[in-house]
Amino acid sequence: MPRSLRGVVCLSFACAAMFGLTACGGDDDEGSAGTTAGGAGATDAAGRTGGTIKTAYTSFPDYLDPALSYTQEGWQTMWTVYTPLLTYKHDEGAEGATLVPGLAEAMPEISDDGKTYTLKLRQGLKYSDGTAVKASDFEHTIKRVLNLESGGSSFYLAIAGAEKYVEDGKARADISGIETDDRTGAITINLTEPDGRFPYILTMNFAGLVPGDTPFQNMTKDPPPGVGPYRFENVRVNRGYDLVKVADFDVPDQAVGKLDKIEVDIVKNRRRQTQDTIQNKLDYMSDPPAADQLREVRARYAGKRYKEFVTNSTYYYFLNHRIAPFDDEKARQAVNYAIDKRAIARLFGGLLEPGCNFLPPGMKGYEKIDPCPWGDPTAAPNVERARELVREAGLEGDSVTVFGNDEPESRSLAEYLSDVLNDIGFKAKPRIVEASVYFTTIGNQKTRAQLGVTNWFQDFPHPGNFMFLVDGDSIQSTNNQNFGNVDDPQVNRLLDAANRNADIDEVADEYAQADRLIVEGAHVAPYGHRKLTVFYSERIDFENCTVWHPVYNLDFTNLCLK
Amino acid sequence: MPIADSSVQPDPSPVLDGGRAEAAPAPGLSPWALALRRLGRNKAALAFGALFVVLVALALAAPLWAQLADTTPARNHLSDTIVVNGKSEQVVTFDGVPIGPTWQRKFFLGADSNGRDVAVRLLYGARNSLFIGITAAIITAFLAVLLGTLAGYFRGWTDAVISRSLDVMWAFPVLLLGVALGVSLALGGLRIGPLRIQGGSLWIPTIIIGVVSVVYLARPIRGQVLSLREKEFVEAARAQGAGPLRIMFSELLPNLASTILVFFPLLVANAILLEAALSFLGAGVQPPEPSWGTMLSDGVVLLSTAPHLTIVPGLMLVLTVLALNVFGDGVRDALDPRAKVRFEH
Repeated sequence: MPRSLRGVVCLSFACAAMFGLTACGGDDDEGSAGTTAGGAGATDAAGRTGGTIKTAYTSFPDYLDPALSYTQEGWQTMWTVYTPLLTYKHDEGAEGATLVPGLAEAMPEISDDGKTYTLKLRQGLKYSDGTAVKASDFEHTIKRVLNLESGGSSFYLAIAGAEKYVEDGKARADISGIETDDRTGAITINLTEPDGRFPYILTMNFAGLVPGDTPFQNMTKDPPPGVGPYRFENVRVNRGYDLVKVADFDVPDQAVGKLDKIEVDIVKNRRRQTQDTIQNKLDYMSDPPAADQLREVRARYAGKRYKEFVTNSTYYYFLNHRIAPFDDEKARQAVNYAIDKRAIARLFGGLLEPGCNFLPPGMKGYEKIDPCPWGDPTAAPNVERARELVREAGLEGDSVTVFGNDEPESRSLAEYLSDVLNDIGFKAKPRIVEASVYFTTIGNQKTRAQLGVTNWFQDFPHPGNFMFLVDGDSIQSTNNQNFGNVDDPQVNRLLDAANRNADIDEVADEYAQADRLIVEGAHVAPYGHRKLTVFYSERIDFENCTVWHPVYNLDFTNLCLK
Repeated sequence: MPIADSSVQPDPSPVLDGGRAEAAPAPGLSPWALALRRLGRNKAALAFGALFVVLVALALAAPLWAQLADTTPARNHLSDTIVVNGKSEQVVTFDGVPIGPTWQRKFFLGADSNGRDVAVRLLYGARNSLFIGITAAIITAFLAVLLGTLAGYFRGWTDAVISRSLDVMWAFPVLLLGVALGVSLALGGLRIGPLRIQGGSLWIPTIIIGVVSVVYLARPIRGQVLSLREKEFVEAARAQGAGPLRIMFSELLPNLASTILVFFPLLVANAILLEAALSFLGAGVQPPEPSWGTMLSDGVVLLSTAPHLTIVPGLMLVLTVLALNVFGDGVRDALDPRAKVRFEH
């Protein structure tokens, strides 16, 4: 999901860390999955249980309703309250991106044609208010997502009958592609066409089960009960809420919380958050420390209370293939040669890992493109070659407008690129658009945006969730997310085949090949992958209780006091 | 953001109607010469007036300084290094902290987070701020005189329409109005008949500020015209067969000159402040043009590690507005006959 940077990090819908944690200084032994519930396999990781901590977000989650929430703050919290049929391990790196049964007994059985998914609900499940979980609750959960026109509704339109359900607009109507049996717990889902990403779509918080009588309305003020290690209490919209441990949560192989209570307060001022964390008045801040305090925090607390993680995200400039001068491959190559990725990393205060690939390093299908055709991302750019290409193409003096939004980083990135383009022979100027309408503006073909700043944080750890941004089949006249109108037939063919296969390992090579084609064809100008941070008070057990999940960032169920 | 109340209005008496005894000019000196003489004796006003002239001169010299510093206001130097006191330093460190003042040609006042030379941007920002301030004040004065004179002279429904429109504007928070207009015009630009202004143009904030400030001057002007139209010299002109247009241009307008003169520096100061506020909020001057407001906005995120980014443009803003306000007060005192009485005592 493209992010408009509010502050620095209330930006990701679902940020993820890298799989190979050693590359960012992670410790393989550190923060393994926490206490798990039920069965003989329950284990206790290091770190004591019990206690209450105070945490801070810069802004209140968009919603405290699993059907609607589509921000990182929301998802991080929601994962501890609502468990979908399938979910992820509470672990780091590749393990954390592994799909496991959640409220389903086992992974789904997929029909040969890839269109039918059959699952069975675990027996004896109860919501946090004691109500029994029924198989039909799943259909109700999906209906709420569709009926409330959630930002996640498009993910579930692949279910047969979902589009008709939306068109009819009758909340209680049936979705023909979902069949449930409350007696046996059987759930059958029929898709209109095979989609290899669908198991991941079932793990999204949108599909976190809620009771069948949950109203078809935004429930943020009084969130519905879920099945999870924590439940919401004391919700104060725009001010905060508490996560209170569910004492009798007992779902086999699912993590239970270590802390009794997590108090979340909204503190708009990140300087104050940082200062309070330094002074141990706050136990954890979700956003990175304020830019002007980052140096001090790094110097004094790195490895003790502070750590940085590379997320599954890509920051890049889109280059519009349908509008001059970037309909000319040489113009696109020139941009790729000219941008200085080391310089751009400084605009992020060092919280950006320079890179060449479009896919992020933690993603299946990522194969480091080395040597990078546009030069080493950590070395000086080849500006002279860029100038030559602009001259060769006869594009000197062509007017170019660089789009960015009014968030500080985006504006800086647009101004930087504008300066670079002027340096290589174009006549460029930035155009700054208000952040709330930025993506709809550049996603409208009528805007005719030549090039601009954008980024993407994963919704789920599947390369298809990145590659659709450069898939010719995803081009739309409005709300387009393929901002550059990339339409490479070879890439389209690869993606078309790969997206149908539910086994990522089988199609990882295809995604890697598509990634290489995108980079070598200079279809976009990627420059790096965002880093996020954790910063704790002295009370938190940094060594044993920090689990950076590849989808949900810091895993609250593993947090513990010393 | 009111800039003055009605007490700022100069008394119209030193002018041509000759209605009051205390306003009578000294023998051999016109009211304007007297005002100039009084202004010449106000050392504080002159000092701040001179400061304003220096600021204007510095702004005009911006390209020269940019040449000396070997850069432009939009040039990024993110990966560059510079030798300061024999030591090589990064213009922007790996963790994004820009260099502070070097007190040498390059990066005299340091760099911003994009590695741009703050001194060069400051001087170019001064050009933009002064251009917007002065041009917006001219627009305001023109519109205010037009509307105030029409409303005051014709009274009746003309006055009702104009005055109620001004009341609506008065009731609307100027900054919010400016932000709303600035944001909406920043992308698509402005199109009025054949006139087309592009989104990033400096004319957009200039026109916005010029228009939203009209209310501050139009009301006092209207009040003054209401008073002047009843004077004997206007009656005399009317008796001689002069039409409304001639009376407004030949009889009323010269008598409004002192009011406009008193208000003008204050309008400029107000426009510069409003421009800074709009630019700070992203609704004023658009990149790559520098402005003190955008420089302040850029600097806020690095307040404790690079305080020069906010102190330098903030100081320039304070100095400019202070200079204009003190000089404006001096002009008011010079044109106000009551000042003469005080001065002579």
